[in-house]
Amino acid sequence: MLMKRKVLNLGLSFIGPIALIVILTMPIGPLAGGLQILQPWGGIFDVGKGIQHGGNETIALPDMLSGAEVIVDEWGIPHIYGDTLEDTFMALGYMHARDRLFQMVMQTYLASGRICEVIGGADYAINSDKYQRAIGLVKAAEETYQWYVDNADTNEDVDYSLRATLAHVAGINAFIDTMTSDNTPIEFKILGFTPSHWTPIDSFTWAKYMTWSLSGGVYDLRREFVRNQLGNDSLYADIFPEFYPNTIPIIPEQYNLSLIDYADAPGGYPAMLVPPPSILSENEPIAQISESKLNELLNIVSSNINLLGDSVFVGSNSWAVNGSKTATGQAMLANDPHLSLQAPSLWYEVHLVVLDDDEALNVQGGSLPGTPGILIGHTEHISWGMTNVGADVLDIFVEELNPTDPTQYRYNGDWVDFEVREEVIHVKGRADIHFNVSWSLHGPCIDSVMSTYTSDTETSYPNIAMNWTGLSITHEVLTLGILNRAQDIQDYYDAMYWWDSPPHNFIYADDAGNIALTVAGRFPIRQGYSGNFPVTATNDSVGMISNIPYAFNPRSVNPSQCFLQSANQKSIDPSTYGFTILGAQSPDYRGERIHTYLDGKTGITVNDMMQLQADVLDLTAEKMLPYVLAAWTSSGEVNTTIQTLVDELTGWNYEMEIDIAAPTIWTYLLEEIRYVLFDEIRDADLPATLAQIPIVEWVLSAPIDYYIDDHSTVAIESMDEILVQAMHRTANNLYALGDDPSEWLYGHYHTIFIDHLAGMTYIGGGAHRGSGYTVNVGGGWTVQHGPSRRMVVSYTETPEYYTVYPGGQSQVMFSQHWDDLFELWYAYDPILGHYGYTLEYNYATAIAFTNANDGTMIEYIILFIPRG
Amino acid sequence: MRKLNVIFPDLGLFPAFVITLVLSIVLQLSGAWITMFLVGVLSSMFVRRHRTAFGVGFFGVFIGWLFIFVYLILTAQALPIADFFIGLLGLGGLGWLVIAISSIIGGLLGGFGGLLGRSIVDLVDELLPNEAGKETKDNNR
Repeated sequence: MLMKRKVLNLGLSFIGPIALIVILTMPIGPLAGGLQILQPWGGIFDVGKGIQHGGNETIALPDMLSGAEVIVDEWGIPHIYGDTLEDTFMALGYMHARDRLFQMVMQTYLASGRICEVIGGADYAINSDKYQRAIGLVKAAEETYQWYVDNADTNEDVDYSLRATLAHVAGINAFIDTMTSDNTPIEFKILGFTPSHWTPIDSFTWAKYMTWSLSGGVYDLRREFVRNQLGNDSLYADIFPEFYPNTIPIIPEQYNLSLIDYADAPGGYPAMLVPPPSILSENEPIAQISESKLNELLNIVSSNINLLGDSVFVGSNSWAVNGSKTATGQAMLANDPHLSLQAPSLWYEVHLVVLDDDEALNVQGGSLPGTPGILIGHTEHISWGMTNVGADVLDIFVEELNPTDPTQYRYNGDWVDFEVREEVIHVKGRADIHFNVSWSLHGPCIDSVMSTYTSDTETSYPNIAMNWTGLSITHEVLTLGILNRAQDIQDYYDAMYWWDSPPHNFIYADDAGNIALTVAGRFPIRQGYSGNFPVTATNDSVGMISNIPYAFNPRSVNPSQCFLQSANQKSIDPSTYGFTILGAQSPDYRGERIHTYLDGKTGITVNDMMQLQADVLDLTAEKMLPYVLAAWTSSGEVNTTIQTLVDELTGWNYEMEIDIAAPTIWTYLLEEIRYVLFDEIRDADLPATLAQIPIVEWVLSAPIDYYIDDHSTVAIESMDEILVQAMHRTANNLYALGDDPSEWLYGHYHTIFIDHLAGMTYIGGGAHRGSGYTVNVGGGWTVQHGPSRRMVVSYTETPEYYTVYPGGQSQVMFSQHWDDLFELWYAYDPILGHYGYTLEYNYATAIAFTNANDGTMIEYIILFIPRG
Repeated sequence: MRKLNVIFPDLGLFPAFVITLVLSIVLQLSGAWITMFLVGVLSSMFVRRHRTAFGVGFFGVFIGWLFIFVYLILTAQALPIADFFIGLLGLGGLGWLVIAISSIIGGLLGGFGGLLGRSIVDLVDELLPNEAGKETKDNNR
């Protein structure tokens, strides 16, 4: 009896432990790691220890050849002094992984269609993985990597870039292999995720994803949808002109290089000197995509996760001035790429030095965690920045399917089999998902994501193929390999030759006084179609038949105006250029503001450059508000409600400052003007916002009576009547916020919010200057895109490099380096008229750096040594 | 073979608690929460009643983990980390609650470990030869 009781006691005693084990290890919602991570040692609390770096550290790595010394400065920025190329890039890989592994994994897994492995099988995650696999980034990355492997023996620059890539990957894996609980990202602990080894394909896939975000997107389908919906080609042509009125293009004076030196298109692709004539719109072949399938596909595309944010906010500013306009007599350069503001930032500042004289390197600037090299920055003699071109380098081809066998399509008179690539999506905690992606000669069929599509009226098979230059073998990493070692403008030309995708404007300045700007990228020459809309091409006479020669890419070098600028406006005036560069164009207001400022100024200082980056003069208000105020005056209407608005706007200097109400009023008013003007668009069940603001300005300034009139009424409205209507609508919005103008202060509503990649926390939350049309750009009420990195370079005797970005070097939200750079970036000094920057430490050797240290410059030092 | 209750003397509440507390800190530094069961089992050797074994295990580990948390709060931002964690559940500012819950979980690990340990000892001693059985009965009385 006693024995039975003791056995029973023992059995009962197991209940508690078993229950606890289950409770502590079972996933609870997003907390896939279970409650076990709450233990004081070995769980989430370890990250607080991991960010402590006292004194010097020594880390032995198996693949390190000779060694590298990494000086981490007061901002957490590593200065890597490696004995060899491999040592420097291995240390870079290690530092990237140590400070940004979660971000690298999220980015690359998302790009690869593997996000379900991290976050599980939610519908949006499965859709995202299917979509990413359907656009084929990994396949393109594999082919690109193989090109490097195949060409390394015959091309020194390729060999250099490949060795840097492999060393970088080895460094990332060295960190993963030695990761402890202290330096495991807290997100992995919460998600219960263990990263696998990094591969070179991962690095190339992330580069492809960036390329996709900056030059991809299925805009042909969107345009097709809008054109069908509008049913009015004249209206369509008006709201989507090839060239916005009054645009100041990026290239003021074209500068061609020699075809003898550069016979091919960028990236070594074939070039054509004389393009075929453009096709007339009435002759353009029309592809048939059913409305239901088009809608379904667009829904899938628009709901996809996009790490870099909405493409309408992707932009940038850059400019360079030569010595004749600066106070120092030397060139200056400024750049601020506008990308998604995320935490951690897309950028990671780093200084890379190779001490080996045979392969000496000294480059500093912004890198992208997961890729080997500096994307924007400077060497000892040259500096460069980037803005997006926005060129259309992606076309949609609707393949004609074999009616008796939908696995075939017609091409050059034959029925050709689709190449089918089986994709297997591994889902955390669930069974794998298998699906196929069909590839035609044009590219992957993006409707593979829908598999066999069946609606009430149709059954269709994948046949919408995407022909995108970014899916070719691309050479971004090779470009950086050359550019990061560039010493003069010739090296810059050589580097730009390899930049084929995504098209970018590369601004340039050097210590010899040169300034330049290259619209770099491979721009396809099309035949038999415009490239604006989906097309059916059953033979190779219709398609991207060649490319613009690199020598003739839009380019300007030391122009007579003594400065260059780009802000995503049209690259070059189409009437002066022999080739067609198709594509989107940003409203020119930022570009015009920069142009006007630089054109009228001499004796430019670093402070002036910084002030221009902080500039919030909104040209949309300067150009259009006078029409509104004049309309109100001429209306003779007596209305104290509206008069309150007018009083606030009268005398306003058009600056989008946070402590006044006028910017709030103008933001609402501009939208309402667009709304009341474009009833033609709204009547087609489309938003008036399809018409960009330069079109609004064109309608008001021309004026265009057809659009000014409200066609829903019998009467014919005048411009004054329409603008007063817009004021009434604006008043309704404003008085909903409050009855007093003190409640309309811009800073109450226009705020900055930088979300964590997994939505676990955020940076910011405060009032934010600027608008979508100011140089210091900040579109929308809650700003989540904008200057992702500010840089100003001044070539004095000792060049000065000022940089800052909205974030911090560390991925750990409890580190001082989580948001210390954001604090600088956000801190606007009204006396100086600009935001804060760091002045880079740019010592050529570790000894020079340590000797110069005043006790505040260096936080700690890491010595990487070979193991065994 | 001598019975376990003979090998491990009844030290009384406080010494057993101190041993548990020290063991909980030392073993927790391994980063393996499951070792807290072991701490409870070991602590149960030095007491004789189930409820005492549970209490010693619970409070020993609970206080041990609290000590570690105090150290981490002072040196490694444990409170902001706890705030961050509970903020994910929409309860920002209640970081202390996470630390409290964690410590209670530790206590339960130790407590249930103590219960289990005591049951194991009782059963093992019961199975051992009679010579020792008398002693065990005495101890269980």
